[in-house]
This record gives sequence, C-alpha cells and structure tokens, in this order.
Amino acid sequence: MNTKTKPTPSYLLASARQALGRFHTSPAFAGSMLFLAALVLNAALQGPASFFTVKNINTLFTKNTPFMLAAIAQSLLLMTGTMDISCGVQMALVNVVVIMTGQEWGIPFPLSCLLGIGAAILASLLCWVCCSVLRLPALLASYALTFVIKGVNVMIMSVPQGKVEKLYYKAYDSQIFGFIPASILGLALVLLIWAYVRRTRLGTHMYAVGGNQRDAFAAGISPMGVQLKAFLLKGFIIGAAGVCLTLMTAAGNPLQAEDYGIRSLSACIIGGLSFGGWGTVGCAISGAGFLVLIQNSVYYFFSMLVKMIPGFSVTSYYQNFASDLLILLGLLMTMVTARGQREALRRDIVRQLKTGIGLRDQAGTPPPDGAAAGAALAPPPGNGTGPENTDAPAFDTLSAPAVSTSAARTGLSDGAGVGAAHTKEGMDDER
Amino acid sequence: MVELRDIHKHFDAVVALHGAGLTVAPGEIRALLGSNGSGKSTLIKILAGLVEPTGGQVLFDGAPVHIRNGRDARSLGIATTFQELSLIPMMSVRDNILLGNEPLARLGLVDRKSADRRIEELLDRFHIKCDPDTYVQALTPSVQTMVEVAKAVAQNPRLLLLDEVTAPLHYDEVELLFGSMRELAAEGVAMIYVTHRISEVFTICDTVTVVRNGETVAQGAVGDFSTDTIIYHMTGQRPEAAASHAGSETGGREGEPMLDVRNLELLPKAKDLSLKAYKGEIVGIGGLEGQGQSEFMRALLGATPFQGGEIVYDGQPRRFRSPAAAVREGIGFISGDRNREAIFALRTVEENLLAGKVAKGRLFAYMSARSIRAFARDAVGKYAIKIGSLRHAANSLSGGNQQKLVVARWIAMSPKLLLLDDPTKGVDIHSRREIHQILRRCAQEGMTVVMSLSETEELLDNADRIYVFYEGHVNAVLSGAQKTPEALAAAMLGMSGPGAADAPSPSGPHSDSLSGRSISRSIPGAPSPSGPHSDGFPVASSPGFPGAADASAAMSPATGGGGGKGATP
Repeated sequence: MNTKTKPTPSYLLASARQALGRFHTSPAFAGSMLFLAALVLNAALQGPASFFTVKNINTLFTKNTPFMLAAIAQSLLLMTGTMDISCGVQMALVNVVVIMTGQEWGIPFPLSCLLGIGAAILASLLCWVCCSVLRLPALLASYALTFVIKGVNVMIMSVPQGKVEKLYYKAYDSQIFGFIPASILGLALVLLIWAYVRRTRLGTHMYAVGGNQRDAFAAGISPMGVQLKAFLLKGFIIGAAGVCLTLMTAAGNPLQAEDYGIRSLSACIIGGLSFGGWGTVGCAISGAGFLVLIQNSVYYFFSMLVKMIPGFSVTSYYQNFASDLLILLGLLMTMVTARGQREALRRDIVRQLKTGIGLRDQAGTPPPDGAAAGAALAPPPGNGTGPENTDAPAFDTLSAPAVSTSAARTGLSDGAGVGAAHTKEGMDDER
Repeated sequence: MVELRDIHKHFDAVVALHGAGLTVAPGEIRALLGSNGSGKSTLIKILAGLVEPTGGQVLFDGAPVHIRNGRDARSLGIATTFQELSLIPMMSVRDNILLGNEPLARLGLVDRKSADRRIEELLDRFHIKCDPDTYVQALTPSVQTMVEVAKAVAQNPRLLLLDEVTAPLHYDEVELLFGSMRELAAEGVAMIYVTHRISEVFTICDTVTVVRNGETVAQGAVGDFSTDTIIYHMTGQRPEAAASHAGSETGGREGEPMLDVRNLELLPKAKDLSLKAYKGEIVGIGGLEGQGQSEFMRALLGATPFQGGEIVYDGQPRRFRSPAAAVREGIGFISGDRNREAIFALRTVEENLLAGKVAKGRLFAYMSARSIRAFARDAVGKYAIKIGSLRHAANSLSGGNQQKLVVARWIAMSPKLLLLDDPTKGVDIHSRREIHQILRRCAQEGMTVVMSLSETEELLDNADRIYVFYEGHVNAVLSGAQKTPEALAAAMLGMSGPGAADAPSPSGPHSDSLSGRSISRSIPGAPSPSGPHSDGFPVASSPGFPGAADASAAMSPATGGGGGKGATP
C-alpha cells in the first residue's frame, strides 16, 4: 500500500479512487458537499458575474470572518469533547473592552485589542473551570455563562456607543494587492496557529481526550490539562473574532453577537464535527460557509422574486424562515451521511470478519476464501502445526478445544472497539 | 521487580480486593487467574494507575510507590493492554499507538518521519496489515487487539500487563503474540498475563497467581500447577468429568418449546447461540462475564439486531423490531442494571409498579386513583416489598427491594416469557432468595423464565437447566444430576472438551468460511458432527460424543474435563 509504484495511468486512477474513498468516509465529506452546493446556489441566484467580483468576495469575508472564527474556536472545543455556547457574548465582551478602554483611558487601538483578547481568554478560563474542573454539563454551564458575561458587558458599557478610528476599519475593509480581502488575514493567522498546534502532541491529545477521556488518562494524558489548553486557544481565537467584529461594526454594543454562540455550534455540526474527537477545523469552516451562503442565497432569491413579481413584498421573517429551513435540511443531510458512513464501516468490518482479511497470512494457513462452504468438515492440510504438537502431551486435548474455538471464532472480541462505535452511534442518535 | 502486598480495595460497600498480593520479576511471565469478580482486573488497574488501592503497598524495585494516574504508571515503565481496549476509535492507528509517547522534533512538533518508522516496525513485528492512517474503528476486533498490544509494546515497558488479550484473537495471532512475549521476556520485560484460557497458562507462563474473592489463594511456578489445581483454586471446587456435560436438551419436557433460539449470531460477541425454553421452566444462562449473555437477552427482546440465526417464539419465527413489540407479544425483561434500565428512581413506588401495565395499556385509558392504589398495595404485599409508603420515591428503597419492585412490575403483566439479565446483581442475599421464590412460583404457574446469572451457586440452585456460554457459543447444557458446581466451573472455563471443540464447526456459513484457521480436527478421536441438526445444537445431539471422551481419557489425565479424574493431583 505504501510502496512507491511508477505513476502509470491505472495506478494514478487507483490512488485517486482511494483518495476519493477516503474523502468519502472522512468527517469533512458532508460539510464540504453542502458548502459546494450552497456556493453553486448562491452564485446562480446572484448571477456568477456579480458573485465572483472582488467587491462581493471582500464583503463576504469582512461580514463573516468573525463568525467563521467563532466556528473554528467552537470546533476546537468539540474535538476535545466539550463546548462553549457563550462564544457569542464573549465576542461582545471583547468588543466593549476594546471600545471602552480606548474611549475612557485613551489606550491606543492595538493595545486595546490585546486587552480585549485577554478578556476573552479570561472568560474562556471561567468556562473551563465550570466544564472541566467542576464537571458541569458544558451546554448548561456555558448557557448560564452567557448571562453572566452579558451582565459584565453591560456593566462595562451600558448603551451602544463609541467608535473605531477610520484608519483601522478602513484597513479591515481593504484589499491587499487589490484582490485579497484584508479580513482574511485574521482567518489565516488562526489557521496557521492551528496548523502548528495540530502537529504538536497537543493536537493528537485533543482528539484523544475528545474520543475517550478515560483512555486518554490511561495513556498518561491529563484530560483537564488538555481541555485547559483547548479553552485557552479558543479564548484567543474568540478574542481575534471579537476584534474582527469590532472592526466590522466600528462601534461598541454590549448585547450583540449572542447568537454567534449557538450558530457556531450548528455550523460545526453541519460541517460534520461531532461531540468528541471526530471532525476537523475544515468541517467548521465549511459548515460556517454553508450557513453564510445559504442566508445570502435566500436573500438574493427573495430580491429576485421582488424584481420578477410586481408588487411582491414580504417581511424578512420569511427570509429567515426559508434559510433556516434549508439549514435544517443541511443538518438532516449531515446526519444521513454520517449514518451512511457508519453503516459502510459496519459492513466493511463484517466483510473483513467473514473473509478474514486484515491479517497478515501466516505461513501454512492460506486465507480461506469466504465461500468454501464444505471446508468446515474438510480441514486444509498444514493445520497441524499448532502448539499441541510441540507441547507436552498432557495438555494436548486441553489446548485443542480452546485454541480451535479461538480459531473458529473468527476473531470476534468482546468488541470494545465496535462497542465504542455503537456507543458513539447511540450518542449521535440521541442528538 | 514489582510486588503488590496485601492490597485492599473497596468501592463503597463492595469489596473488590481483600488482601491480594502479587510479585513479578524481570523476564518473568506471570499468569494472574481468577473467576468472575475475583479482583484480577482491579489488580491490573491498580498497576495501570486507573484505580487507587484503599490499603496495602505497591513496591517497585523494592521501593514503595504510589501510582496515581496513567502518567505515573508510564514513567515507572508499566504498559497495559486493556481487556476493553484503550484505543480511541476515531483516531488513526498511528496516533493511537504513539498516544502520549509521540517522538518530538524541533519546536515541539511531532516527528512524523521517525513516528512512521516506528509504526512500520511495530506493525511488521505484530504482522498487522493495515494502513497507519486508518481509523481504528474501521478495524476488526482482532486487529484492534493487536494494535492495542503494539501500543503497549511501543512504550518499551519494563512491566507489561496483558488483560485477556487473546480472547478476540485468531489462533495464528495468539502464536505471534506468544512469540513476541517470549522475545520481550528474553529482553528482561516482566509480564502479568490475565486469561481465562487455562491452556495458555501452560504454553506461555512461568509462574501462576490465583485470586479468589479478592484474595490471593495460590501462587507458584507453573510446574506446580495442573489444570485441575488451578480450577480448584479459582473456584474452590474440583473440576468434574467432561463426559457428563451432555445435558438433556428438553429437560424431559414434551411439546413445543416456548422459546427456541437457533444458531443466533450477534456480531461481534456471539457466534452461535442456540437455546430452548419450555413452558413452566427456569432456564439459566451461565458463563464468565461478557461471553455474550446480555447481548443474547437483548437480541431476544429486539433491543439489538442480530445478524444470523432464528428466534422462534411461541411457535412462530419472530424478529422483534423494538422492545415495545416484544412486550406486546408477552415478553418481559428485567435487567440487573436497575438504575439504567428499570427503575424510575425519582418517581414513586406506586408509579414504578404501574409503569409496565401502563406501557401496555392504551395511551389515554382512564385509571382511577383507587384502582391504582389497590393494585400497588396488592403487589407490595404479595412480593413483600419493604417500603415506607407507596408515595415515596423508588430510590428510597434498598437495592433488593428496588429489584423486587421491578420484578413485581413485570409479573403484574403476566408475561409468557420473562427474561432476566443478572437480576440479583448488587442485591442482598435475603431479597435474592425472595426473588427466586417469586420466579419459581411464576414458573409453576406456567411462565417461562430465562435468566442469566453471574453467581454460580445461585444458578445451580435456581435454574432447571443451565446453558453455559463460552466465547460466543453454548459450551454445555447442564441439567438434573449433571448440574454440579464442578461441571459448571469446568464448562464456564470452556473445558467441556467436545462442546468447545465441535460447537462452532457445524453452525453457520460464518465458521465455515474460517475453517481454514480452525484446528479443531487436531483431536484425533473427536467426531465432527455431521452438519447442523434439527435443533442446531451440537452438544445435545451428538449423544455422549464418545470419540472426544476417549481421546481425553487416552491422552491426558489433566485434560479439560479431567476425564473423570477429578482428584488427579
């Protein structure tokens, strides 16, 4: 499998098929398909000529970078087997800290941004204490924190106010070399950091802790410590998202962005992440992209209706209704795909069991071809090389039954692995 | 090198270890043996850092140590392969093997190249044929187990704990594993090997430690032990002759069985389970833990799907889609896991009693408070459930009374077939007796009771016939005079010779396809049953299986069943 072969067309085809197969069973499959579908839909409704313009792409990124960052932050927690739906208000916290420190104390904007990021990290720490140290259910604890943090926000800034210097928000809205949206820099920075972390031990350990805390503990990993690091990282990313939010709105509002928390969670789930060690940051990005593009598409769909049908007018609630309906469908599709993947996995394991592949063949015991029906009563030659011939005769008949059962048993275990998969399934179904 | 001295461990009121001890020297392979709940897994977990002992000392290289977590264990050089595996299914083989042990390059990055080299080496060593990037969940259980072993060996341990690793393995993989174990022993690695296959002890181990009821009852060189003495120490009973294990399949009853299970296949645990239960009898299911008993129960109930075989219930082949469908057809199910599967802990006694009846009745049927009260009071009186008041929450009751509550609930629905999965787990002795009396009364009134029990004595006392499950198939059926502790102990350890040897062969296509690996034919005299019998149950239908009995008598005094020489040593 790993040996290098000459790149003949058939080999390339085979490896392409293999890669495709791997992609098909990867967690990112459903999310990226949905994202592509939404992209096509959006481009079609808006008209490709107007969709693929520098201006439009730029707007998409400036308006949605905060949300995408929030989804990335959330995905890190999901990988580690926890979550935080107070992400949204934490972004608002960053926003008020940045604006108010600048306004009240005259701190220069970049420094206020650092303070804002610090505030987000503190809020994340608080959430970590609740979820990992006190072991409160993450959903409830972070929901309660939503109100705590909102209260803090209002204490810092009672009413929407303040502004950001034009220099900064103009820069955020600008394009590098005339076509790369500047807002992408924040995204790129975060992705770079994650690309590094993923390649350190922490990256693997995060998945391990998310997959099974007990097993991670048995492997000498401290689940609490890993979750702490994940929360710190998430705090930093939320800080960056809050800064982007501030640049985007160029004003302060203590009660904005609350829905980013729950929406980032749904972006992750749609993208194919599940609670505990399954899915990648890519899933979060495609999920977030899907949500954004669907809302965009519905907006253009309705404006198209307005143009086509004279006198047509509906409230924006219908737009939300339509887009949320599509999102629900997307969620459904993710679930269906995930179930299909699990089913395929199960079938594959059963097939492996029935044919006995997946084991290196020992000399003298050729792999039985699955359909040899009469073989049970006609043992193939070369079977007598077992321990009973080398052992003391006293144990002959004793070892024989035990060994034979093990051999005939096809190597099915008490199936902790598959059992775990089932438990996982159960969890998914519950959801 | 390592010594455990007088270890005590109790989980709340349950005593798991009570003065257990163990020593192992470098290069030594020590077998750790014991029956269900004897505390051997707890001992392993103490060394692995998952459980902290409540008393006693752990000495490592002569110095007392405290192993508080997995990291402590690792830094001492202790690696463990867990029975339930410690692999994370959603992670790749590579990440799993190196977990917590990743080679580092510059900047704290994981060194992929040297990681790949080590993985390649390990996979080669254990002949694991899989792509290191595959997710563990896509592997078969036997390959997963080999990966688990590779993971432990990857840590270059000084002490390797192997907890029932061979159970899911193929014969050739077991050989491979033993080869590696010998190599490691030659390098000076100490090993503690837990198994329920006694034969393996003589193949691979140097020394033996036997625990029973949380105490170390015997230890010594493997040469000082025979199968019989090991069984004796494990169970306190001398194993009995194998020849008597052919129980009567019908239990002397006539007519159609109420429940007739034929060659039930439940991947991955159960391969070939056949069972018959007649009206008015109590059928017991015995065996070591995790031999497919609870899966079997749940398959009957329709809670888990099964892959092969047939369930004939009340004369008709059935495949229930959900427990609710099974309950509608008159099947009751009592789980030993009260808190999860039976009791509504915060609801009142009354409501708990009524839950079953309500589930079966119409959704909006009117029930008067008085009739409910009368029903509940009647049940409480009839089954002698000790309660404060009918209005108290169910969790105010003791475990035994909670379980009686569940039993009462189900019996009130007068099911035709009552399934019980270890119903007396964690129940005091007095309530146990009462529950069994209730069940006996119900059986006399014509109910069919199928119950799995982990306590062997209870099983012997209360079941009319006992099916012994071993590694996913029925190893023996004991009834009447054969229902002895000795026979049961031997059968639970897979030692009923012919049953174990032949049971898999005539079953489904499943074992056929794997017969290339089967070496059951290495018993010279053992006859191969000529294909599936009408009831699909080989032990009962090969009367007396003389071949195997002869073989054992001729070849070995210390054989599985002992060949009638129970007192050989």
